[in-house]
Amino acid sequence: MSLYELIRKNSGLFFIDAQTGHAVSVRSFHQSLSIDNRQGLVFVYSDNSIGAVEVLLNFLNSRFTVVLLSTQLHAAFKQNLENLYTPYYIYDPERPAAYGYNTIAASASIKLLKRKKPADYLIHSNIKMLLSTSGTTGSPKFVKLSDYNLVQNACSILDYMPVKSDDVVPLNVPLIFVYGLSIFTTNCMAAGTIVCTNKDILQPEFWTDFARYKCSTIGGVPYVYEALLRIGFFKKDHPSLRYMTQTGGILNQALRQEIVRYITTYNKQFIAQYGQTEAAGRMAFLPQEALLTKAASIGLPIKNGRFEIDADTSELIYFGPNVFGGYANSPADLSTWHETNKLYTGDIARCDEDGYYYITGRIKRIIKLFGSRLNLDEVELILKNGLGGQTVVCTGINDKFLQVAHINEQLEESTIKQVLKEKLNIHPTVVQVKYIPAMPLTPNGKVDYTSIMQSA
Amino acid sequence: MQTQPNLQEVIAKAFGITPNEITDELEYQSIPEWDSVSHLVLVTELENAYSITIEMEDVLTMGSVPKIKELLKKYHVEPIA
Repeated sequence: MSLYELIRKNSGLFFIDAQTGHAVSVRSFHQSLSIDNRQGLVFVYSDNSIGAVEVLLNFLNSRFTVVLLSTQLHAAFKQNLENLYTPYYIYDPERPAAYGYNTIAASASIKLLKRKKPADYLIHSNIKMLLSTSGTTGSPKFVKLSDYNLVQNACSILDYMPVKSDDVVPLNVPLIFVYGLSIFTTNCMAAGTIVCTNKDILQPEFWTDFARYKCSTIGGVPYVYEALLRIGFFKKDHPSLRYMTQTGGILNQALRQEIVRYITTYNKQFIAQYGQTEAAGRMAFLPQEALLTKAASIGLPIKNGRFEIDADTSELIYFGPNVFGGYANSPADLSTWHETNKLYTGDIARCDEDGYYYITGRIKRIIKLFGSRLNLDEVELILKNGLGGQTVVCTGINDKFLQVAHINEQLEESTIKQVLKEKLNIHPTVVQVKYIPAMPLTPNGKVDYTSIMQSA
Repeated sequence: MQTQPNLQEVIAKAFGITPNEITDELEYQSIPEWDSVSHLVLVTELENAYSITIEMEDVLTMGSVPKIKELLKKYHVEPIA
């Protein structure tokens, strides 16, 4: 069964529009938009509003390949991606029109942009969805996922996640992130109500809705849990809350202890997970009973998945039916599907005697700031372009700071921070700028990242 | 009364924008610079600038510039405008 069929089978499912309070049955969204019956790409600039959900469901139930993108993507990045991939349809509520596109009413409330001259290129029939490897850099690199990948991921999650048919689930994690997408797909398949909202946990309206709709669950990256702690979430019971989920890194010890105290006092559940876009979502989860004893662990592989650790590099390798079919850097890459169940995670890991896995380092040049993945090579390129081609080198410091090293004594720190803020919305307080007289190089002439990081 | 730091400058620093961009119309999520990340930076900046400790529940009520001013009154802070 396809993902859409599995969602539709959950016929008691309702979507609540938090803005209006209206509830809409999943049945009402069945073929609710008039869209062409053909192959092609649809760019869905998605927030977590009910309109985006309706568009997503309609295109899941079509031959189109859905490209999920952030509404907050810089306008120039949107344009670049659209020029490159020439999508057949675009859903972007913020743009009433676009050059080369007609605006069509797909329903009374939903407008789509439809390409005047459809581009003709082959899309492999396996490719159901393209997800960005990073939400904000506007990189043309996408992860190719099949409907089968998405279904397998959701089914494995439902094997350990305590989802109930009368659960009320707020979409507080952006849908465009694979974690948010997993929350969406699993709960559409098995929960009762999805609360579509763009309010976040730092807005009083979110908590009014949380209480009004009696929400059963909440999810977030470590940063969200730090914010929950700051606003006093763990000081009192939230009677409707049954379980919390987390991904995107290990929680700090003090926070973890506070969460353990909270779930013990009020009889809640907390499920930490480990995943990647390339795995269509999850690869491991930490059973609640191990939260204290195996605190720093990513847990055990999900159902139908398994891990191996490379004997030479200690890289964590995942095997499972949810592993993606390759990357796409341009439309030409959409004609192929690389069938595999093996994924090199880029993380360095070890396994303890009970079979629990621990991440001890990272091979890829990727950092996570506030739970969002940033490819340092992409950040570097964008920064170089923004600075008119100056030499800069980006490294990460403990997933807390982005360090920018440069060799131009005249270059102002504020200029660098300004470009990063404008292009990537990276907050200036997490950027550390460092001037170095000469760029350290390795013997074969490449930038010596290790030496730069050590001198930080 | 001792001189208090300028509120616009404190907020501007937290958001990484210039003080003259800080107007009473500004609300949480109304500009990309005021997101969940910078909101918590703002809390810390306000605490440091005015030597106060902002209560947990107040973190949620600081959703606009006028609301921040109101909140500071509660903490007996009168920043120069």
